[in-house]
Amino acid sequence: MTLHLTMRRLLTTATFAIALPFATLAQAKDITIGLTSDATILDPQAGEELSSNIMFYHIFDPLVRRGADLQFGPGLAESWSQKDEKTWVFKLRAGVKFHNGETLKASDVVFTIDRLKTSVMSNLSANIATVTAVDDLTVEISTPGPYAALPNDLAAILILNEAYVKSVGDVEFGLKPMGTGPYKLAEWVKEDHITLEAFADYFAGPAKIDTVVFRPITNPATRTAALLTGELDVVQDLAVRDVERAKAEPGIEVLTRPSLLNILLAMDVREKSPTVDLEKNPMTDLRVREAMARAIDVDTINKVIMNGLATPSAQFVPDSHVGHVDGADFRAMYPFDIARAKELMAEAGFADGFTMTLDATNNRYVNDAQIAQALTSMLSQIGINLQLNMMPKSNFWGHIRVPSENSSFIMSGWDVPSGDAGSMYNALFYSRDKKPGYGEVNRTSYSNAEVDALLDKADSTAKMEERDGYLQEASKLLLADIPMIPVHYEQDIYAVHEGVVFEPRTDKFIWAYEMDVAE
Amino acid sequence: MFAFTVRRLFQMIVVLWAVSVIVFLMMSLVGDPVFMVVPIDATQAEIAQAREILGLDRPMIVQYGIFVSGLLQGDFGLSYVFRQPALDLIVERLPATVEMVVVAIAIATVVAIPLGVYAGANPGKPLSRLIMSGSLLGVSLPGFWIGMMLIWVLAVEYRIFPSSGRGDTAVLFGVQTSLATANGWHHIILPALTLSVGTLAILLRMTRAGMMEVTRQDYMKFARAKGVSRHGVLYGHGLRNALIPVVTIFGLQVGDMIAFATITETIFAWPGMGKLLIDSIYRADRPVIVVYLMLVAVIFVVINFIIDILYTLIDPRITVK
Repeated sequence: MTLHLTMRRLLTTATFAIALPFATLAQAKDITIGLTSDATILDPQAGEELSSNIMFYHIFDPLVRRGADLQFGPGLAESWSQKDEKTWVFKLRAGVKFHNGETLKASDVVFTIDRLKTSVMSNLSANIATVTAVDDLTVEISTPGPYAALPNDLAAILILNEAYVKSVGDVEFGLKPMGTGPYKLAEWVKEDHITLEAFADYFAGPAKIDTVVFRPITNPATRTAALLTGELDVVQDLAVRDVERAKAEPGIEVLTRPSLLNILLAMDVREKSPTVDLEKNPMTDLRVREAMARAIDVDTINKVIMNGLATPSAQFVPDSHVGHVDGADFRAMYPFDIARAKELMAEAGFADGFTMTLDATNNRYVNDAQIAQALTSMLSQIGINLQLNMMPKSNFWGHIRVPSENSSFIMSGWDVPSGDAGSMYNALFYSRDKKPGYGEVNRTSYSNAEVDALLDKADSTAKMEERDGYLQEASKLLLADIPMIPVHYEQDIYAVHEGVVFEPRTDKFIWAYEMDVAE
Repeated sequence: MFAFTVRRLFQMIVVLWAVSVIVFLMMSLVGDPVFMVVPIDATQAEIAQAREILGLDRPMIVQYGIFVSGLLQGDFGLSYVFRQPALDLIVERLPATVEMVVVAIAIATVVAIPLGVYAGANPGKPLSRLIMSGSLLGVSLPGFWIGMMLIWVLAVEYRIFPSSGRGDTAVLFGVQTSLATANGWHHIILPALTLSVGTLAILLRMTRAGMMEVTRQDYMKFARAKGVSRHGVLYGHGLRNALIPVVTIFGLQVGDMIAFATITETIFAWPGMGKLLIDSIYRADRPVIVVYLMLVAVIFVVINFIIDILYTLIDPRITVK
């Protein structure tokens, strides 16, 4: 933007006579955005980390568009309807152009989903059984069972061009993506910048900002410096310690928004737990789980470790989600209360406490190592001697994976960008080994027939209100049963220069199509 | 000379083989790359599918066999995360690192040698003391601190240099480099300066120590008595004889800077290859780590080879055998 302003000043002084040909150039808007890391690959079916995701949604479009506040609306599909309980019909917009000028056809959608099923991201298509093209603009998608949340799932599937992908091959496609999205890839210099240019024929009208440059700057202090010098117009993940400094700078605004990432403490409820040296695992007793919930002072963690930049979790999913129960608050149900926690421990027969190990990451979540250390001192108040087993994320996921034989107590985060508690509950809280595809990430081995039944019902209705009702019932049971302790949502922190119109999205995907810069 | 080259080549192959085996064995400890690729709610079947796509479903020894046979055909394997050839990922980042190292080395040499000679020839003078305390600071201050201070003062407060990035590049001798544009030079100064400080200080101290040793020799006094100028004695007779250990350290430093400029690259968001190594270790991206470390081994062997040749040029009494 700065460079562009100088250019404009030059142009205005230099040109009156030749103003006309330059008129369009002078209007050109650009913006430079600092990200925490470079995209790894631009094939939306080959990875899912945040920086790549941000690029995917500029270059490609989904059938269903997820709005900034998790509202779902038409994307490449202009409308959809249910033919029967398991079959959905999606009508595509007519005349949608790919960047190479080709027109979007139903066969591209079929190709996309078929390719997805054999990719490393096949998880995204878990609720899709078959896809068929009825005609050029109609796609029929069937689900394995009645499934009301299919449109939400489709918001994460980006439509590719069959002919293009086949002609360039997988490796090349990961470097030179081509889709229907509002921006085209202009240049990608690895680890230095990705330049996107507005696609003039975008179906919803061309973007307001013509050129978007994304610069990966891993070091948070350098990101702040580049913001202060004006090299960047927007920065993602402003370091907590730089917030005051950035606020003090005239012309810079700091924006925050709670993220979807809920930090959860999973308690093993098997009869015998691997790191608890007792005949019977104390955490099988609800009173022990409640005592642990009451012994953890989430407000102190927020104040001392997170600089006030976290939002204590009220439930397992945020209030924007299907399955959230209005008014239910974990923090109000089990407020911080050491005296009561000690009583509960004594009632359960563990007045002297016990020893176990917490598995946690040290490079995945904001201040994760410090939170783990705080937990040891908080739980020591009720006699639980917590050993720490901290690892980098590359070791962590393998260590805690299900069937997990190693862990008693795990700290990890979970987010549900689909805006529906169902996928989370099915993965984390459904009884293990009961139904294929369910309970596969059930790290606590929690098993509750009532919860299972409610989740079954939620997944066998094609009506959203009914689904919401069942999931809310499940939420209530889970809050009462405490298979996990929700801690907090991290806060997403951005800083922008004056004149940049930017509203952070819940899913953290910066999307230049929704942004603008002042003239 | 020919036998020497052949022997060095043979050594290199042994080193490369050892590196590849060690990295393969080590990677079984750093975590499972599959979990870096699949979403956290992936089911067992989805994880198994990803494992198969990445070729991680086979036993370690078979994976190593596939890697080596690919290697013999010039195929270094695909990165798990980038899904691109591992060698390409490294090679496309190599020019950025090398250009920064070249500038850093140039700064270090140009500053360190004259100052070292001066401090060695005039040990008692106040300026020498100042130079030596300065070099002590250079050895002790960590690079990331110097980098952050340079950014703070010269980029944020005075806006003389940009804070980060590589700037514009252009083609020079067939390579995309920032050394071919003014904007690129503007960007490279701070990172190169940061990278050079440690090496500069070490070279300076080595040069000074060598010079102090040499100035006491009889041939120095003799040359002066014979009427050679002070400057001529210091640089012609003194420095040449003080240079052998300096060149040895110089070579090691160059290798080290190319291979592990990671910290400087991270601070200045410089798109070099050192950052790739760290990211790959975090992501357990074995193909990239193996190829990277093998390349580093090649770089060190080549540099040492050049250093050995340089010895013979500096001191004709030395021959390579």
